[in-house]
Amino acid sequence: MNEIHFNVDAGYLEGIVRGYRDGLITAPQYLNLTQCETMDDLKLQLATTDYGSFLQNEPSPISTSTLAARCTDALVAEFQYLQQNAAEPISRFLDYITYGYMIDNVVLLITGTLHERDTHDLLEKCHPLGLFDSMPALCVATTVQDLYSTVMVDSPLAGYFRECLSAEDLNELNIEIIRNTLYKAYLEDFYAYCRGLGEPTASIMAEILSFEADRRTVNITINSFGTELSKDDRAKLYPRLGSMYPEAQTRLARVDDMDQVKAILEQYGEYKNMIVGVSLSASAAGSGGGSGVLSLEDRFFGKEVQLNKDSFEQQFHCSVFYSWLRLKEQEIRNVVWIAECISQQQKDKISNYTPIY
Amino acid sequence: MPSRGWGMMRGRPKTTTIFRSEVMSLVQLYIPSDVARYAVLQLGEIGLVQFRDLNVEVSAFQRSFVNDVRRFDEIERKLRYLHSQLERSGVDVYEFLDDGFAGSSRGPRDIDEMEERINAHDDRVLKLTAAFKNLQLKHLELLENKYVLEEVSSLFSEMAGRGGAPGAQGGRASVATGGAPGLDAAPLLTRTDTSSRRSIGSLDAARAGDTDFDIEAGGVGRDINVGFIAGVIQRERIATLERVLWRSLRGNMFLNYVDIEDPIRDPKSDGPVYKSAFIVFAHGASLRDRATKIAESLGATLYQVDSSAERRQEDLIDTMSRLDDLQQILENNAVARVNELTGVAEQINTWFTVVRKEKAIYHTLNLFNYDANRNCLIAEGWCATSDILAIQSALHVATENAGSNVPTVLQELRTTKEPPTFVRTNRFTDGFQNIVDAYGVPKAGEVNPGLFTCITFPFLFALMFGDLGHGALMTLSAALLCAYEKRLAWLAKSESLRMFYSGRYIVLLMGVFSMFTGLIYNDIFSRAMSFFPSGWAWPADQGGEGVTVEAARLGGVYPIGIDPAWHHASNSLLFTNSYKMKMSIVLGVIHMTLGICLQVPNALHFRKRINIVHVFVPQIIFLCSIFGYLVFAIVLKWSTDWYARDAGGELTHIGPPSLLNMLIYMFLSPGKVSDSEKMFRGQAALQGFLLLTALVCVPWMLLVKPLILRREHQKIVSEGYGRISSHVRVSTEGEGLGGAVIVAEQEEMEEDDFDFADIMINQTIHTIEFCLNSISNTASYLRLWALSLAHAQLSEVLWTMTFLPTLKMSGSLQPVAIMCGFAVWFVLTVGILIGMEGLSAFLHALRLHWVEFNNKFYDGTGVKFEPFSFKAVLDEADEQ
Repeated sequence: MNEIHFNVDAGYLEGIVRGYRDGLITAPQYLNLTQCETMDDLKLQLATTDYGSFLQNEPSPISTSTLAARCTDALVAEFQYLQQNAAEPISRFLDYITYGYMIDNVVLLITGTLHERDTHDLLEKCHPLGLFDSMPALCVATTVQDLYSTVMVDSPLAGYFRECLSAEDLNELNIEIIRNTLYKAYLEDFYAYCRGLGEPTASIMAEILSFEADRRTVNITINSFGTELSKDDRAKLYPRLGSMYPEAQTRLARVDDMDQVKAILEQYGEYKNMIVGVSLSASAAGSGGGSGVLSLEDRFFGKEVQLNKDSFEQQFHCSVFYSWLRLKEQEIRNVVWIAECISQQQKDKISNYTPIY
Repeated sequence: MPSRGWGMMRGRPKTTTIFRSEVMSLVQLYIPSDVARYAVLQLGEIGLVQFRDLNVEVSAFQRSFVNDVRRFDEIERKLRYLHSQLERSGVDVYEFLDDGFAGSSRGPRDIDEMEERINAHDDRVLKLTAAFKNLQLKHLELLENKYVLEEVSSLFSEMAGRGGAPGAQGGRASVATGGAPGLDAAPLLTRTDTSSRRSIGSLDAARAGDTDFDIEAGGVGRDINVGFIAGVIQRERIATLERVLWRSLRGNMFLNYVDIEDPIRDPKSDGPVYKSAFIVFAHGASLRDRATKIAESLGATLYQVDSSAERRQEDLIDTMSRLDDLQQILENNAVARVNELTGVAEQINTWFTVVRKEKAIYHTLNLFNYDANRNCLIAEGWCATSDILAIQSALHVATENAGSNVPTVLQELRTTKEPPTFVRTNRFTDGFQNIVDAYGVPKAGEVNPGLFTCITFPFLFALMFGDLGHGALMTLSAALLCAYEKRLAWLAKSESLRMFYSGRYIVLLMGVFSMFTGLIYNDIFSRAMSFFPSGWAWPADQGGEGVTVEAARLGGVYPIGIDPAWHHASNSLLFTNSYKMKMSIVLGVIHMTLGICLQVPNALHFRKRINIVHVFVPQIIFLCSIFGYLVFAIVLKWSTDWYARDAGGELTHIGPPSLLNMLIYMFLSPGKVSDSEKMFRGQAALQGFLLLTALVCVPWMLLVKPLILRREHQKIVSEGYGRISSHVRVSTEGEGLGGAVIVAEQEEMEEDDFDFADIMINQTIHTIEFCLNSISNTASYLRLWALSLAHAQLSEVLWTMTFLPTLKMSGSLQPVAIMCGFAVWFVLTVGILIGMEGLSAFLHALRLHWVEFNNKFYDGTGVKFEPFSFKAVLDEADEQ
């Protein structure tokens, strides 16, 4: 029944977002991008894409960081246009999407403050989609309790933060725990919210979020090797959803090395193919290893792109907004990767991006 | 069989008509490298050549002139920057265009000079703007400082004013207690009362001479425990600031703020920003540090404010004087900036034009090939054959401009490529051609329906819009647009009016034709016109309510159009409906016949005799034997006096027959006509014969053409000529060119695959479509009647509902009522009858052309000729 009324409020936005999707860089365009010799060539090539108008007023020797910033500007401008035109329930859904960025920003600020970085520099590094009013004040908080009662309490993340209050003082480990606990709570909440939106949003988002949860589970496991994190604590950080919940998670909570992780993953059809040929030892750090060999992280990205592309195959649901944003983010990562390769003269790794269309 | 008609056209006189598109030539240009820029510049000015991309496989940044393109991109960026600065500082841009420079004769040196000047301007403006921004920031700082000082002072005085008055002689304690109610939100002060009050008191005693609030403020400031910070923050952030401070200091603070009335100009965004000055009292240095940190992170600017009143006063005076100085410098800077920008404003339009042209030149040069020695560039492009002379003379001028003595060589290539379609239009035909192009661009050499559309379109429109008054209004407005078209050219820039403006000649003709049909329908704003004596006379005795009177027939016939006596006759609808319905059928059949006949020139042009004999002939026979006969019957019925009496006073005819029944029974009972319906002798036999011919035409259309094609094909195959995979080499005619490299290009012709099944299916579909369409299309022309009826009725209703009642009124209010009634009637007439009804009639006329007319003969599968011209480039840039 949702479908009948969907277009009343969201038809326009869905049209817009599908148009945005069609603006994504396609395979032949990527091919052109990878053939560029200099950053100027790249800029010339990007002039024909949706980023063109954001780049055209930049003076010519353009740096990778400017490029990334302008691309993010383009993304933000499009997302904000959606937000401004959204009505319930899309507006709420879009708000939910921004919470993920808020978590990243909060953690960024806390870490920065811990290392005594300049607040204004930190604020500039924050993702513009994850800003909230009282966020800058995070830099004065020194304890978790403080964080909560000063700043977080009236941010949208307040509800997620309650579970973190047990941590006493702020150190690297605790911050990681806070990040993961927040994200876990966020994912679970988002999942529940999408459930409430009814079909077909619920099932499509369930698939995407389950995958997200699984990915986090694996990443948390891999990243916790060799740290002080106890196995019980590790289990607490796993999001309580996804195809690995609960049985694989209980087993993952006990493993000690990569091979065991691999053994567990092999029992899942969708991940079995993914880990074939992955040098797991190199993938712990995340960013791609040698040329040609894709890390587990890259495979996850590839899978995510696939899921998000699939969500465009159905109509009358909110997931397209989430999927478009994810795809666009991936695209920006790709462009930045290509730009980095060009500016650092590492052409052999240039094709290690994740193609979308 | 591929069409080779194109090559054969060449021998014919090169006429330029709208009937067919221009004869096109594929030309190759050998341009010496040093002339190339000039040559393209000239060609861009005349805009007659459409260049082909000879480097399709080369990506954009690997082409030869990409660096030049980039150079002009960079200059354009600087110009855009300058333009944005012009807008910011409100300097008007001159519309002036330096034709000498923007025209065709500038050389690379002029360009370099221009670039230098732009760079110099850009540099200076950048520096000035940076300095200006710097000064503005300082100014902003001072301004905010001033506001903070003022606000803090007034805050203090307010606090003291509330709490101080009663305690003036009662010692400090009363100030404290009195102060409390005024500071509801200040637990800090109330709480510190007991602990720190005494010390304040003692300090105050030492400064007995001071006024109240000074003591209060001074006391707070000098107390080591209670200090304050003051600053300015954006107004919408103040609530957040307060909340966060309250939480993180656990309520041990007191914040007060005042909105700064005037917006402060923010140098970053250049827009007005509303800000508030605030002051925070906090207890202890560490808390104050915290508050400072929070405030700063939230984007507040903090200012040192001294706690003593005199010092504040001094600061204020100092700030004011510095502000004045700075204001002076700022103004000087602004003047310098405006001067600089005024210099830019005079030229920027020309520069923009030149840069866009130059960029277009290099984009075009990127389409060209270098020859082997890289001495000259080879270009290929399409142009109208009749324009070659003009192109050659342009190239000649270019060579002269470049000061070179190596001429540019132009030669025609023979090709089997389908040329782009170039229909030369003028102001008048342009609009009509657009209507046709919207359906499909004519194939090269195909009959262009645009020629006929020029008259049939407004005519069919007018049949649906027949009203002399409405037509006159429409004509008037369109005529104004046409008369002042140069002055009103700005209309074309507005998106909603552009359609109306570009179609002004269409509207003009539509209006004129509507006046004509209005005259025929005898309608002016739904009223009748009696220019001539009527052919009927109403009896002088009016009868009475509900009595039917009959008009008596006089001798004459009304000379033009419908007799005004029909207006308001109770059977007028019956009469006009029957008249308009028949008229629609007659005109529709004529229109469709014209469409079918246009197949003949097409077939002649493409040398396809088979299309005349086995497509056109059966089609025209089919249509004429059924609907042509209907038209004949209509005319016959019109021209017969069905109530004529012979000498004996007997009716000579039985009565008017129903044509609808006639047509139906022509199919149902062929060869028979009932006596009551009979129109003329031999009708039954004729109808039977016509039906038979129509039926014969169906298999003729269906089978003959495919069978003939198959026979021809089999003949070719049996003679051993089949399936030559033919590559035709593009060859050049001028052989005597030493060193010139001929671009050898192999054109793959589409394979001569003969598939009988395909052709048969196609033919079946076409035949069925034609037969069904001849019926449905004829019926479709009835929309002419339907819309005309709707229009007439609507305008009648509007007249009787809005204006007529006011005319029938009596009393002193009548003039006012007439005025109002007229206003309403006129607005609705223009809005609904002319605007909306006009659009709907336009739409239906469009449909009749696209569907009913064009599908009889028109392929519309051509590609539009888009020559490289600066005008198009600049127009496109303007639209962005």
